[in-house]
Amino acid sequence: MSTKISLNVNGVVRTATVSSTDMPLLWVLRDVLGLTGTKYGCGIEVCGACTVLVDGQREHSCVFDVGSAIGKKIVTVEGLSTDAEGKKAQAAWVEHQVPQCGYCQPGMLTATVAAMKGGHHGKEISSEVNHLCVCGTYPRIKAAQQGL
Amino acid sequence: METLDRRAILAGGAAALMVPVGAGLAKLGAPLSGASGATGTASAAAALPTTDLGAYLRIDGANDVTLLIGATEMGQGIMTGLAQLIAEELMLDWTQVKVEHADAFAGQPNPFANPLFRAQLTGGSTSMRGWYTPLRKAAAVARELLLAAAETLTPGGGWSLAPGGKATNGVKTYRFSELVETAAGLPAPASPALATTRNVIGKPMARTDIPAKVDGSAVFGSDVQVPGMVFASVVHCPTLGGTVASLPSKPSGALAMVDLGNAVAVVANDTWSAMRMAESLASKIRWNLPADTSSRDSTSIMANARALATSTSAAPRIYETTGGVDPAIALADAAVRLDATYELPYLAHACMEVLNCTAVVTADSAEVWAPTQGQQLCIPTVMAITGLPATAIKVHTTFLGGGLGRKIEQDYVGQAVKVAKAIGKPVKLTWSRKQDFQNDMYRPCAVIRVQAGLDANRNLSAMIYRNVSPSINIQRNTKPGNNPEDTGAVAGAQGLPYAIANRRIEFVPLPADIPLGYWRSVGESYNTFAVESAIDELAGALGADPLAFRRAALAGDPRAVGVIDAVDALSGWSTSSPRSGRARGVAFLKGFGSYIAMVAEVSQSSGKMRLNTLYCAIDCGVAVNPDQIEAQIQGGVIHGLSAAMWGQVLFAGGKANVTNFNNYRLAKAGDVPDIKVSIVASEAAPGGVGETGVPCVAPAMANAYAKLTGQRLRKLPFYPGATMGGL
Repeated sequence: MSTKISLNVNGVVRTATVSSTDMPLLWVLRDVLGLTGTKYGCGIEVCGACTVLVDGQREHSCVFDVGSAIGKKIVTVEGLSTDAEGKKAQAAWVEHQVPQCGYCQPGMLTATVAAMKGGHHGKEISSEVNHLCVCGTYPRIKAAQQGL
Repeated sequence: METLDRRAILAGGAAALMVPVGAGLAKLGAPLSGASGATGTASAAAALPTTDLGAYLRIDGANDVTLLIGATEMGQGIMTGLAQLIAEELMLDWTQVKVEHADAFAGQPNPFANPLFRAQLTGGSTSMRGWYTPLRKAAAVARELLLAAAETLTPGGGWSLAPGGKATNGVKTYRFSELVETAAGLPAPASPALATTRNVIGKPMARTDIPAKVDGSAVFGSDVQVPGMVFASVVHCPTLGGTVASLPSKPSGALAMVDLGNAVAVVANDTWSAMRMAESLASKIRWNLPADTSSRDSTSIMANARALATSTSAAPRIYETTGGVDPAIALADAAVRLDATYELPYLAHACMEVLNCTAVVTADSAEVWAPTQGQQLCIPTVMAITGLPATAIKVHTTFLGGGLGRKIEQDYVGQAVKVAKAIGKPVKLTWSRKQDFQNDMYRPCAVIRVQAGLDANRNLSAMIYRNVSPSINIQRNTKPGNNPEDTGAVAGAQGLPYAIANRRIEFVPLPADIPLGYWRSVGESYNTFAVESAIDELAGALGADPLAFRRAALAGDPRAVGVIDAVDALSGWSTSSPRSGRARGVAFLKGFGSYIAMVAEVSQSSGKMRLNTLYCAIDCGVAVNPDQIEAQIQGGVIHGLSAAMWGQVLFAGGKANVTNFNNYRLAKAGDVPDIKVSIVASEAAPGGVGETGVPCVAPAMANAYAKLTGQRLRKLPFYPGATMGGL
């Protein structure tokens, strides 16, 4: 039943054996490839914790079937440290001491980077990123996005 | 490598604690072993040689100093706060400081047990309160030992610390890494002086855990990876209180199916498959259902609570009686009387990270990686399931994607251990979001009746306070003959600093079988709503300014007055009017070892209340890290806002009505007010901040809304049934 696929994740082509190409990208990243930076939050596109970039667009990997990611460039939070916008966003997050528990932050960061890549700045980024943070780091996320 | 095997220490019992490397620090506990060898924990890769210096400090060849903490980092910044204490005492550069969770310690005394309550667990906003002095003392002992080591290596006196983890006599300078082995063999000084500097304590030091939380490398429980690991998920009986009667055949594609008593685990090659197959079993498993679900039904529970709130035959437990006059008589004599009843619902924890745990169980050992606030409790959990002695069990604490009180519980840890034992393979067990919401240990609901009166001189002369709520303590101690107390149920109402001459604080345990747990700010999360609403209603009955009324009634407690004055100044309460269409309300709490006052400024938008600005003044004693105190207040306010506006779990026929974030509305960025925080300068002992910011939000909002509209809101949430939209 299992299928072997190739995925381009953070610039590296990796082979994954999946039970089905319907499997959400989230779980392929986490359980098959061991890239655990991308988080499971709700599974129904409400919280945003699982956000990744697919060909520069933000996608909710909890519902994005891995078959649709084949042949595309996937960027996860682990890839932000080598991405120009990613590095800027990370630096802003550190400067404003944003994370508390930190669990939602990979999604917050990847969505912020997607907005930056889409040409958005400051408040425009904030209005694009409507994710859930139960710790309530919103004031600091907004402050960090302000300078981007 | 000068590390010790922890099992050897534990096997040797208390006497062995005196022997090894940290001998000089024997009273502080045992040295820890180094890297555990397992993957996925923060302590997994210690490439440099390290030397332990007592239980808490490890110094490596690069002269980095690692602090091992017994408290759990769940977002509150405790790793950073505790590290500041040792950095101050040892004059460390902030860049050389590292922090790790200590493994659960099975021996006694446990050096990682919070000194306040002698257990290695995290709750009640106690970590800084418990560790502030003991950890500084431990670091001061280490400082004296390092200086003595320098003297041993180069006699002649004149040694003092130099910044960056060094000792110098003005001629020669040693790095700590060059001294630590010698230091570890020296006798400890009895009571070294604590540093009088304030170079690190009181400063907004950068959090030690943030770099890993922005690059994806932070390891939460759900991120643990163990070689050969398989993946499990669970389905609980859809009716609370139900148990497995019989299992269907194993789903095709599942590696295993394990009966967990009130739930069934499915094991697969990935979590997604395990979750899907587990959920598909809900209707196929035969369950033993409770005969009567009325004790798990919100309508009947709340009706019973309302009856008990006014019943003369309820036989309340009386947790406080003060004053020379029977409060009932004082109330009858009062010039102004209030009789108001407040209602609060069950709440879910809704941690961003669902419950999960990773376990490996063999014939002679067990190892667990858990996002846990209760690591010490995990050891008996594992022992009971495996039959192994404590010495054969390792429990590693990961980062927590939120704890909020839920992750002190043992249910999910026990499940992972049972599955690992049953299948003989390492397993990571992860709940689905639906299972997480439907099988929480919920914040108790409460119906609270406040009868209070003012005498002819406008002084508070009487209060009869009755909290009717299901008791966490009683639910957990159901053995026959047990009749446990639960003063936590009246936390936030007992010992009020208000001058209320004659008062009686009552608790009536409410019979109900909804599973209960500790929710961020616990008893205060409901009692402060009732107390601070009632105080406001009394001030309103007098036509008094509610802030001035509180200031007068708190005059006997200077720190209470201090936060009232500070929030007055911050909000402009006494000096400016809110803009048109807005009103302000105030609330106060003495709790968690701190004092806090909040002013909420609200308006109406589309017929609903909107919190525009929240002003907060806090006196939490020595403010170890002002930036993180601000962060905790911001987070606490937002948590309190969600509970005030929307938070509610209803039960019908033993089922929770909440399944995911879409039907459990929580604040998002657009809901968040401008939050302004003032930290009152204080040299008092540190107080708690993690929970302190939550309780005042709802009453401050309700008080502001009453001012704005004339309508008094006595029931939470203000807007039940709210849903949360997508992204």
